[in-house]
Amino acid sequence: MHIRPFRDLINDRIALSGLSMLALISFMAIFAPVLSDYSPYDYTGQIFSPPSAHHPLGTDSMGQDIWSRLLYGARTSLFVAFAVAILSSALSLFIGATSALLGGIYERFWMRVVDAMISIPTIIVMILVAAYLRPSILLLIILMSLFSWPGGARIVRSQVLSLKERMHVSAARTFGADWKHILINHITPDLAPIIIAMMIQDARRAVFMEAGLAFLGVSDPMMISWGKMMQQALAFTYLNVWEWWLVPTGLALSLTLVGLSFIGFGLEAAMDPRLQKYKQRRVD
Amino acid sequence: MKREQFGRGSTLNYIIALAAIFALNFILPRLMPGDPLHAIYGDEALVAMTPEMERSLIREFALDRSWIDQLQAYLMGLSHFDLGYSYYYKDQVSSVIMGALPWTLLLTGLALVIATALGIILGIESGYRRGELLDRCIVASLMFLSGFPDFFIGILLLLLFGVALGIAPLSGAITPYAGLEGFGYLEDVIGHLALPLSSLVLVQLGGIYLLTRNTIVSLMGESFILTAKAKGCSEFSIKYSHAGRNSLLPVTTATGLRIPHLLTGALFIEIIFSYPGVGSVLNTALNARDYPLIQGILLLITVAVLTANLIVDLLYSRLDPRVRYAH
Repeated sequence: MHIRPFRDLINDRIALSGLSMLALISFMAIFAPVLSDYSPYDYTGQIFSPPSAHHPLGTDSMGQDIWSRLLYGARTSLFVAFAVAILSSALSLFIGATSALLGGIYERFWMRVVDAMISIPTIIVMILVAAYLRPSILLLIILMSLFSWPGGARIVRSQVLSLKERMHVSAARTFGADWKHILINHITPDLAPIIIAMMIQDARRAVFMEAGLAFLGVSDPMMISWGKMMQQALAFTYLNVWEWWLVPTGLALSLTLVGLSFIGFGLEAAMDPRLQKYKQRRVD
Repeated sequence: MKREQFGRGSTLNYIIALAAIFALNFILPRLMPGDPLHAIYGDEALVAMTPEMERSLIREFALDRSWIDQLQAYLMGLSHFDLGYSYYYKDQVSSVIMGALPWTLLLTGLALVIATALGIILGIESGYRRGELLDRCIVASLMFLSGFPDFFIGILLLLLFGVALGIAPLSGAITPYAGLEGFGYLEDVIGHLALPLSSLVLVQLGGIYLLTRNTIVSLMGESFILTAKAKGCSEFSIKYSHAGRNSLLPVTTATGLRIPHLLTGALFIEIIFSYPGVGSVLNTALNARDYPLIQGILLLITVAVLTANLIVDLLYSRLDPRVRYAH
């Protein structure tokens, strides 16, 4: 049975709503300079000013325009998400695939590393490391990628192990194809949906972790981050500024995370034939 | 995928993981530029320190000797549960943590029990009625909820019930200086616990529910369910004794794997509600750069997570005889 996850994804209502949430946030991130007249760093001359025509979401305790900080915060979140997804899944793919293909002591070594790393609670270690290093955005991306590849590597390895025994691979081999041809033309295409699902999960975790670390106050203080904004705003819940400072920021972060989750759910449903079978039956 | 590893060498994995964490705790402060004592204790603590104290600390950490001696001194300290001294709280790190731990255990323990029970029941009920309106409503709302970051759910509840409606206390675990006893004290504790606990349950619920529901959905097509229906079992018995019981296996594993998430969720929730547990202490320590305390708390949580996962692994082979016989 052949599954076409990407075609099903377009027809899935949950995945579509996830995609549109992410599209909205991406729009905010890309057009940040157009959507706001103020720089997110500039002092506007007024602190805690309520929403007005000049400042759609007012200003914060430092007199900075909240709307423009929200827009540039989207850039930080999406950049971190994208970079970690690429870097981490590249590591997963490389280590998982080479383990499956080479086998032997190389495979046993990496799977032992994967097992040990999976049992370590990532966010706890990240808090510890960040407390010492106060990482900049690039260091943060590297650290998160180093901690998030193992789960994906195990999935890639087991997929490659089963894919390389498939009938069409044997058929290709009888026709004289070499391993490079098989890897590129037969194994990688079947891995693609799993890698995309992995990247979405990595991206989601990265967005959450970046915001969480900033919320705890252990990332680079110069970085514009939704987590940092929420931490600052939480100190002023006794004023009514939370209505246009804390809540919109939290909603933007949640929208990003929910959007990524929904795409993930949609992919999962599209790839699991059991869940799909019942869905089609229902539609009929 | 995870199955094949269970039982065999899983204890070894945890030992490797634990060793890696110890190594990280040992190496990080010593990698920092400058004087390692500054990095171990943080700059603020050093201001309050006299030269004699500095010398005695250097001797204690063996900082004037080779790194092997330093490692030995570090491990000796750990084996005596000596996590160092917190300059912010002016107390041993271990006793600061012990003072905050009961509140965290109360919060996370109750949240785990309530979220698991509620998640399983909702999952069974909605998986049994898959495709009906009720099922679709619960799936949609919990999927949406489970996407939310932990700390924003806490903040929303705090703003809604604490700030806007003013019906719940904003912070703390008890009313200070109220001198309440007996039932009044219990009521006070529950009143303060309600919001943090509900936030934590809401955060945890989605994952448990979705897993149970999906398991039930795939179980409903199995032939033993058909047999149960054919022999006239009651609906309750089909739902809970047949399908429900068989869904416990993945749910138990997933519950164990959720413990790290539960603990980190509790950290954030405690910070938001200023609940006096380990999370709030960690927040204070992070702001004050009280490194011994940060290390102590994170080490404790890591050990708790590793132990919980090990127990789940061992429990799993008890629950599923197939895993035990396979090796």
